[in-house]
Parts: sequence; structure tokens; C-alpha cells
Amino acid sequence: MNHITTAAALAIALGTAMTIAAAPTSAADTGAKEKCFGVALKGQNDCKAGPGTSCAGTSTKDYQGDAWKLVPAGSCEQTAAPKSPTGHGQLAAFKEKA
Amino acid sequence: MSGPAAWCAALLDPDREVPPGLSTWNGSDPAQRFTVYRNNVTVSLMEALAETFPVCQAMVGAPHFRDLARAFVRRHPPRSPVLARYGHGFADFIAECTLAAPWPYLPDLARLELACLDALHAADAQPLDPDALAAALGRPETLPSLRLGLHPSLATLGSPYAVVSLWAAHQGDGPAPAVNPDRPEQAWVLRRGRAVLVLPMSGGDCRFVRALQVGATLGEATATAAAAASDEDADAAGGFDLTRCLAVLLREQVLTGIT
Repeated sequence: MNHITTAAALAIALGTAMTIAAAPTSAADTGAKEKCFGVALKGQNDCKAGPGTSCAGTSTKDYQGDAWKLVPAGSCEQTAAPKSPTGHGQLAAFKEKA
Repeated sequence: MSGPAAWCAALLDPDREVPPGLSTWNGSDPAQRFTVYRNNVTVSLMEALAETFPVCQAMVGAPHFRDLARAFVRRHPPRSPVLARYGHGFADFIAECTLAAPWPYLPDLARLELACLDALHAADAQPLDPDALAAALGRPETLPSLRLGLHPSLATLGSPYAVVSLWAAHQGDGPAPAVNPDRPEQAWVLRRGRAVLVLPMSGGDCRFVRALQVGATLGEATATAAAAASDEDADAAGGFDLTRCLAVLLREQVLTGIT
């Protein structure tokens, strides 16, 4: 049997892997997301569930206020949204400024 | 051919006669109406393929992709009413299709995109309780004979072409980096929460997962992956990193059980 398959080698690999995997990660790394309205280019909005479903990629203009995109948690209200009254993405649908 | 079979054949093939027995409520030409229906069926299926294979479409351009999709739809109509899963067989079809010959990497790129769709729709599974793993680590002599349960979404993909980099180059909004396609690449595809991840891994890492998926023990899978990796040229991306594999399985919550 190959030396690497010994119990001791597996224990070292698994122990190291558990340490690596347990290291603290940022919100972006942990995959936490929030729905962000007003930041998607037209046709690039999320809620993708595959073809035959109706909502993904259906926004018809850039930065549409009622179309959302999943972004790393905490980043939405820092993201520029040209048509948003606040100038940034919002966590709920909004009416675009003229 | 008669009855429903003839009707279905006519629905997909504009060279066939309109099925007999059609009538319209207002006396308009049934042949014309059937042609409209035929067009809607074909185009809706072509659009479904374009949604499932957006990077393939981007690589060959929309007009060429439409030609490929139309040919596939007519030869391989859906076998299931679930449109969201349509597209199995598309990669094999384009591998045989002379229309796709200028893009040798296209079949594997399609396989990668289909793997993403399959991962998206795979069943949910609870990640392994970390305490169970700690307990196993406390009895190292049992580790080689452990069997690891893996999330149903996890799949491996390998190609003689750089399809993982090609795919990644089309995910962002920014300009695509230059990619040399004539380079072998492998990836794990999995879903974490609602996000599908494509992780570049080595060929040995992929063999490790495939061995676990067919029921090999941790010791057997490790030996299989390591032996195959050492047989290959060092630069053939065959390398196997057990620690990294286990760390990714843990970090992405792909481990679902140990027995």
C-alpha cells in the first residue's frame, strides 16, 4: 500500500484540512449574499433557476430599480446605482429617479 | 409513421407535410398555423439551450450557436417536460457535429455548463457535523477505512482544453483575460447554498472524488488518486493534494457523512 494511505498520513492531512477550513473568512468567502436592487445591468439580474423559468435575466434596462442581483452580504449599499435616489444599491425595490 | 409519431416528426421538421386532419375555427389555412406553432416550439427550445450554455454561445457567437441549437433541437427534442433540465446530450451532439469543428473545446465547455445546471438542481444535503469528524480524527487507526458521503451536487470535469479558464473568463462584467485553450484543466463543480461553484482542481483531485463517489474508502481513494498522479508527467495537471482536497470538501460543506 502506498505510504500516503497510512493512518498517520491521513490523520495529518485531515487535521490540517480541518484547521484550514475552520479559519475565519470574510462575508464574501462564506458565500453570504444579499439581494441588491438597482445595480444589475439589463438582462443580468439574478434569480436564475435555469431556462423555462421567467425571472432571471429579464430586466429590460440598466440599473432597473425593481431588478436585483445577489451580491456579497454588506456590499449592496456601497455599490454605485446611478438611478437610485441614494446613489447606491438598495435592499428593497425602489422607484428610479428620472 | 402515423398518428402521434408523424405529428411530432412534422412538428420538428419543416420539410415534412403538415399532419392531416387539422382544422381551424375561422377557416384560415391550417398549414400556415401549424408552421407558426412549429417555429414557436423550435425557437423556445433553442432559447432554453442558449440560457443553459451562455458561455458556449459567447465563444461561437449567437448566429453559429443558433445553427447548432436548431440542429440539436430537431434531432434531440426534450424527453422530459422539465424545460429547465433540457440540454443533456448537447455536448455529445456538438462533438459529432461538423458545424462545431472550428471549436474543439466546445463539447467540454458545454459539459461544464451542463454540470453547473445539474449542480444547481441537485438535491439538498445537510453538511457533516464537525464533531463527527473530530471524533474520527480521535481514532486515526479507523481513518483509512472511513467512507465519506459527498453532497449530491458535487461533480468532476476534466478536459484536454482550458475550459475552466474559458468559463471563468465569461463570469465577470470586466474584460475577459486572454486564455490559451490548448491546456488541460479539471474542476470540481458543486452547489453551496444557492450558488454553483466551479473550482479549478487537479486531475488527481478529480480521481479522488470519483473514487469516493463509487464507494471507495478514504484510504483506497487516496491510494488511487496518488498512484495515478505519480504515473503522469508532473506538468500534466495530474498532481494530487490530499490536504487541499479535504480542506475544500470541508470549507464548501460538501462532506455530508462518514461511515
